[in-house]
Amino acid sequence: MPKAFVPLTQFVNESKSIPREHPLDQPVARWTEEEVLGEEVVEAGVAILRTRGCYWSIKEGCSMCGYFNDTVPGGVSNDMLHSQWEKIRHSLKGKRYAKIYTSGSFLDPTEVPLDFANDVMSDMADMGIEKVLVESLPEFVHPKHFNYSNSPKIEIAIGLESSNPVVLDKSVNKRLRWPHFVKVCKTAHENGAEVKAYVLLKPPYLGERDAIEDAVQSATDAAPYVDKISINPVNVQKNTVVEKLWFRNEWTAPWLWSVVEVLERCKDLPAKVYSDPTGGGTRRGAHNCNDCNGQILDALKEHRLGHGNLKGLECECRSRWEVLKHQSSYRRNGAEPHGYRRGFGNGRRF
Amino acid sequence: MEPLAHEGLARLLQIDDSLQTPHVISREDLTDTQDLISGGTIKIGKPVDLPPKPLGLDSNKAPYLQLSEEIAVLDHASSLQPQKLVEIASHFRKEAGYSRLLYAPAVEPSDIPILAYLGVDIFDDLNVELRSATGWALDDGSWTKVNIKTKDLQSQNQEELERWLLKIRTSIMNGTLRELVEVTSLHNPRVAQILHYSTSLLIEKGARRTVMIRANNLSLENPSVVDFQQRLLDYVPPAKNMVLLVLPCSARKPYFKSSSHKRFYNTIKEVDNYLTLHTVSVTSPLGLVPRELEFCYPAAHYDIAVTGDWNASEVQMLREQFSRLKPEKHYLRAIVHAGSSSRIITELLRERKVDTIDTESEKPSSFEGLKNLQEVTRTAIAEIPVLSSKDRAKGEAIGLAKFQYGESSPFLTESEISGHMPYKLRCGDLATISPRVGGLGLTLTGAVKYASNGGPSVTAEDFKLVGDLFAVGVKSYDGHWVIGDQVVIKQNGKVTGVGFARMNPEEMLSMSRGLAVEVRHHA
Repeated sequence: MPKAFVPLTQFVNESKSIPREHPLDQPVARWTEEEVLGEEVVEAGVAILRTRGCYWSIKEGCSMCGYFNDTVPGGVSNDMLHSQWEKIRHSLKGKRYAKIYTSGSFLDPTEVPLDFANDVMSDMADMGIEKVLVESLPEFVHPKHFNYSNSPKIEIAIGLESSNPVVLDKSVNKRLRWPHFVKVCKTAHENGAEVKAYVLLKPPYLGERDAIEDAVQSATDAAPYVDKISINPVNVQKNTVVEKLWFRNEWTAPWLWSVVEVLERCKDLPAKVYSDPTGGGTRRGAHNCNDCNGQILDALKEHRLGHGNLKGLECECRSRWEVLKHQSSYRRNGAEPHGYRRGFGNGRRF
Repeated sequence: MEPLAHEGLARLLQIDDSLQTPHVISREDLTDTQDLISGGTIKIGKPVDLPPKPLGLDSNKAPYLQLSEEIAVLDHASSLQPQKLVEIASHFRKEAGYSRLLYAPAVEPSDIPILAYLGVDIFDDLNVELRSATGWALDDGSWTKVNIKTKDLQSQNQEELERWLLKIRTSIMNGTLRELVEVTSLHNPRVAQILHYSTSLLIEKGARRTVMIRANNLSLENPSVVDFQQRLLDYVPPAKNMVLLVLPCSARKPYFKSSSHKRFYNTIKEVDNYLTLHTVSVTSPLGLVPRELEFCYPAAHYDIAVTGDWNASEVQMLREQFSRLKPEKHYLRAIVHAGSSSRIITELLRERKVDTIDTESEKPSSFEGLKNLQEVTRTAIAEIPVLSSKDRAKGEAIGLAKFQYGESSPFLTESEISGHMPYKLRCGDLATISPRVGGLGLTLTGAVKYASNGGPSVTAEDFKLVGDLFAVGVKSYDGHWVIGDQVVIKQNGKVTGVGFARMNPEEMLSMSRGLAVEVRHHA
């Protein structure tokens, strides 16, 4: 494993806090959303299981990840997992696509027991679900962790975050290495699974332009080995390094224009590249000026579902974004003055 | 690099013929590198390397500055918490030394004066570019939205920013940077907070000013003012069993030179045993100024708008001053003859259980007022043992020396004290009164004793000292001082001069140009 960058490791550990208590028999959340399956757009059922959580977040964690807030430090018993599943399976009825998230790795057998995972998968296959998405750290992508007796088609989402070791070490605090990522992508494909990669846009400390370049480069690097790439603009989650930097105004969430630029520059890659910004349009998520957030988020959704392209988007704030992008690497951090996206205009109204 | 002037922690540096700091660079002076870590270069006269970017670091933890060979960068200067920023500022020179220029990227024009005051040398126009792009015009450090889209708003704003920096440099040269910072703090809570928290740092490390304090309500926090008040903490009047006489301040400084104070003096001089009266003037923002300290900075160097009203914070300041001076311990009784401030002073003294007589004169220097004063003093000091002028002079010298030289002061006052206040007071052949020093100025003999009693000293190279001592000739230093303090010059182990420090201790060693000690006496 590559060596840790000690100041960041400390910073991550100091930012964390013990998650508050949650009911163990309830999933974290469940909802439905539109998703592409093959050539069609279908309703997908999404659920987040409440589990012990990501082993890495217990040891150190990533600078932008606050999913540990939804975990149960002592772990969740098999019974409780089953009663969570009972609640989830109702909402999956009639769906063809399911996304089963945990606040960690679904393929980590110490987090999601193998026999529970096996039950869940065969249950979903019986319900007529065609494809299921699970997330995992690359270290758990091993055939013995997903050779279920009966299951829908498996799609494994891996957080690549960046292909640049500097970003991984000094910004994200993730000890992932590129050759290992390539290896697990091959393993997954050989065992009949699809791979989706998450690429971060604007991890902490990075300025707007460096962030765009890094995301484009990472997507370009990853495209030959994966089926889909999701560009994830960093959003501000509770009790993380990102939140601290954001409170101190040393970093701000990326512009939606940056998301658009990354997608435009990645449109000819061999893998499908799209983005569904978490918290898009809010101060904690990717946003532009108040006037165009909705328009661009709609365009991103159409683009994700394969209905449209990102051409012809215009707003007054685009030129501001250009100016900022131009000077961002001289600013030495990821911040910009308060209110710049709105043109310092229409201040507080009471 | 040659320091031309100091104020607070700010330095006016001559870099080359056409370049002085605090300096603002434009974006064209910066270059970038492809990788994420390295900082690129900055052009200050010539391009020099910037330190790496603060990737993965916690800005709340030391070391706070990123260092390259010639530049130290204070990242996040525009967003650091005011208290944190001041704490970091106290480490600036420890981390960066004096030979590196301190650069604060992407700060607002309104933050530039206070940052310069705390020691930042280089600024840039990145935020100005963002403002220009959104149609705002810079005017005297603040922003105005302009409706007409001016094509060259950017260049116009850049020029204005240059002018703003020129104003800051001029202020440092004239010793009025404090006033400029106070003006920018008026409606800027962030600057006001930084200014508030920086008082003790400025007292400890800031250069002493010798220019007038143009006072206002903000001046209660002026480091020179606070320092003056704090040093009164263990002040003792010239003799025991004296009577406190509180007089109003005067526009003319030092007060004893003013026409009103001359009249007061001529009035009380006619009373027997008038030497037992100890005159203390009441003033804002300093509070209380004993007669023998009237020479000291800033008692002789301030000016304030006189309103005749005391606001709550000024009354509180006076109350604190009285608690430092402890009049109930040192004086038999008090006479208050301070015109419109009499009522407040009398109240404050009675709060402290001092036997207080108010002369109740609305106009203290009028004929009636003076007559009143004379009568009151005559009865008040009638039965007090006689105080000789010699004893009083000795007491005054002790008080003044202690105020100026602190714990090492006995070396001065153990000598024979002669003359009397104000101008003729001497401590043997060690020190004489000097308005330039603002109190007792050391002679060469005094300097020898001062150095052996723990006074700060500068060791110079071996050459014949004829005029001032420049930084290039400084070999080492001993002790601590702030700019404006008296320091002793040693050469070959012998004391060869004494004068005012014009650079910080470590700075004298780092600089190869510039005035280090302004010499008053040399061998």
